[in-house]
Amino acid sequence: MADDRRRSAYELLKGFWTENPILVMVLGMCPTLAVTTSAINGLTMGLAVVFVLTASSVIISLVRNIIPKEVRIPTFIVIIATFVTMVDLFLKAFFLDLSKALGPFIPLIVVNCIILGRAEAFASKNNVWLSFLDALGVSLGFTVTLIFLGGVREILGMRTFFGMKVLGKGFEPMIIMLLPPGAFLTLGFMLGAKNLIDRKLKEKRGGKVGH
Amino acid sequence: MEKAEIIVSTSPHIKSRETVPRIMLSVIITLLPAVAFSVYLFGIYVLFMYLVSIATCLVSEYIVVKLRKRPFTLNDFSAVVTGILLVMVLPPKFPMYGVVIGAFIAIVVGKQIFGGIGYNIFNPALIGRAFLAAAYPVHITSWIAPRIGSISAVTGATPLAAMKFSGVETSLKALFLGTVGGSVGETSALLLLIGSIYLFIKRYIKWQIPVSIFVTVFVLGEIFHLINPVKYPGPIFHLLSGGLMIGALYMATDMVTSPLTGKGCVIFGAGIGFLVVIIRLFGGLPEGVMYSILFMNAFVPLINRVTRPRIFGTEAAHAK
Amino acid sequence: MQNRAKMIIILTLFALVSGLVLSVVYLFSNPFIQKNMLAEQKKAIFAVVPNANSYEEKEKNGLKYFECKDSSGNVVGYALPAKGNGYQGEIKLMIGLSPDLKTITGLEVLEQVETPGLGGRISEESFLNQFKGIKDEPQVEYVKNKKPEKPNQIKAITGATISSRSVVAIINKFIKQFKGE
Repeated sequence: MADDRRRSAYELLKGFWTENPILVMVLGMCPTLAVTTSAINGLTMGLAVVFVLTASSVIISLVRNIIPKEVRIPTFIVIIATFVTMVDLFLKAFFLDLSKALGPFIPLIVVNCIILGRAEAFASKNNVWLSFLDALGVSLGFTVTLIFLGGVREILGMRTFFGMKVLGKGFEPMIIMLLPPGAFLTLGFMLGAKNLIDRKLKEKRGGKVGH
Repeated sequence: MEKAEIIVSTSPHIKSRETVPRIMLSVIITLLPAVAFSVYLFGIYVLFMYLVSIATCLVSEYIVVKLRKRPFTLNDFSAVVTGILLVMVLPPKFPMYGVVIGAFIAIVVGKQIFGGIGYNIFNPALIGRAFLAAAYPVHITSWIAPRIGSISAVTGATPLAAMKFSGVETSLKALFLGTVGGSVGETSALLLLIGSIYLFIKRYIKWQIPVSIFVTVFVLGEIFHLINPVKYPGPIFHLLSGGLMIGALYMATDMVTSPLTGKGCVIFGAGIGFLVVIIRLFGGLPEGVMYSILFMNAFVPLINRVTRPRIFGTEAAHAK
Repeated sequence: MQNRAKMIIILTLFALVSGLVLSVVYLFSNPFIQKNMLAEQKKAIFAVVPNANSYEEKEKNGLKYFECKDSSGNVVGYALPAKGNGYQGEIKLMIGLSPDLKTITGLEVLEQVETPGLGGRISEESFLNQFKGIKDEPQVEYVKNKKPEKPNQIKAITGATISSRSVVAIINKFIKQFKGE
């Protein structure tokens, strides 16, 4: 029983750090770089992925035994596309401004590698409960990373965080942070920082440094 | 049998007296006339820009080298050169925090991330300026009138901007002497040329690069000028205005980020010249020297591969 | 053979279920989406034509436009949707015109993907308000770094001349076509 619980906890938490979809797997770069001009955009994109990934992972895990393996990819895509379209319509109906800000990147979740990757690598091989935890963990890890990335860019580029002023007039906003180069630079520094922290942690534990 | 004591080491086997600090120091000294003139032309604030930029470059270099636990490279003057060149391509009256950020980016992102001196792909000073151009597009296009000489437009537009947006041509004499508006150290073609003569003589810069840039810009500029003399300025105007002189003489010729062979340098320079004319005449921006050099920097490894000389003793047919 | 039949059946089944689910979601959300679009259009039209109370979609010279009337039924102006290329992508505008077509009564940006904080400032009030009450004859012009002097001029956004110029160009092009010149 204890083992089961530990396994569940691991599947849920790995997405935040050790198997973070952005910082470790470097998947889903298109929305990561394109929509994170503000924290709210990152949050919305993240939540859309949370919904699509958990819903499709659960369904795929449920039906994993009846799908012939030759047609599993098209079946996964049909399932994923269904949920993506639902999110798209939902945002258009109730959050028009956000839908406009995210533009084509909501429909593009269909081809986001993270979703198909989790379906193929995890949900199609594990039971519903673990698939649910895995999807939730990975997508929440994605969301947190997007909020961080969007937050940094919003603060430096517009002096605000979730629309609230956080920096005073003394700080001149850097337009570059809102442009594609700002996304690449910030992501690069985040990847570097993550590796640095991992190395320091390893050193502390007395492990050998190196890859 | 006794073993012979033979020390085997890889090439190079002949050591030159030319060292990195020596070359960098020469570059700094040859820049001094243009630096002094820029302080005279735009005022004492420019002097502080130089000092702040150099200090930031040195401090950033020190921090990164310490963090990476690498041998100390602070005393090779390369950071000082980057600091000076960065200010020379910024507009006078550029805010001081912008100078600090630009210098930091130049050293950290432009140079140290790639592994420090000798490993960087792009010219660090230009990376700093490119960052600032994207970060503060308003400041980077705000010019002030020089203390001497005339200025063509009300807001102190540069000769290139005046040409592009208002169709006003600046006199070539003013351009040659440098009594015009523009980035801090780019205005005087004369002083930059004088300074670089020493570098040519000592062969610290490959003459093929500036010469091929000048020739390409001249020829292309002349062609377009002949097609439509009203719309397109003459070739001499192209050569003397904007950042072409400082770019061709001091930025494109950076030893680390330019091709190894003479033939490669000609291709490199021609590419820069071509892009400069295209951006100036058809792009949205009045000036394109910075982007042209950065763009061609990216092609240097490729150029090196294509122009790799045949190894002596191997068959010519294999080189193809 | 049996395997192939299974593949087809399963995939068809999934597609069917998916289609069914999506139709339900669509039927549910479509009224909201339509309402949103109408509300947006209405907001933009009323913003550019002051005193308008109702509007009617019409067509002239190949352009779709909205004829606006006040509460007593007089024509108070026209709202003209326009679009064209900006610095990075398409800019969509709603132009308000006085009944005699000589004065611009207002301007709204419906969609744009200009650089945020720079060209993106064409959506800001301070830029748009400049267009209220300016003359469109002979055509709208922009000036840089100084105060507009003539009644047909506006001030371009500092550092975003191309975006400002695009907006002015789109306005001129559509007004010209609308007038049938």
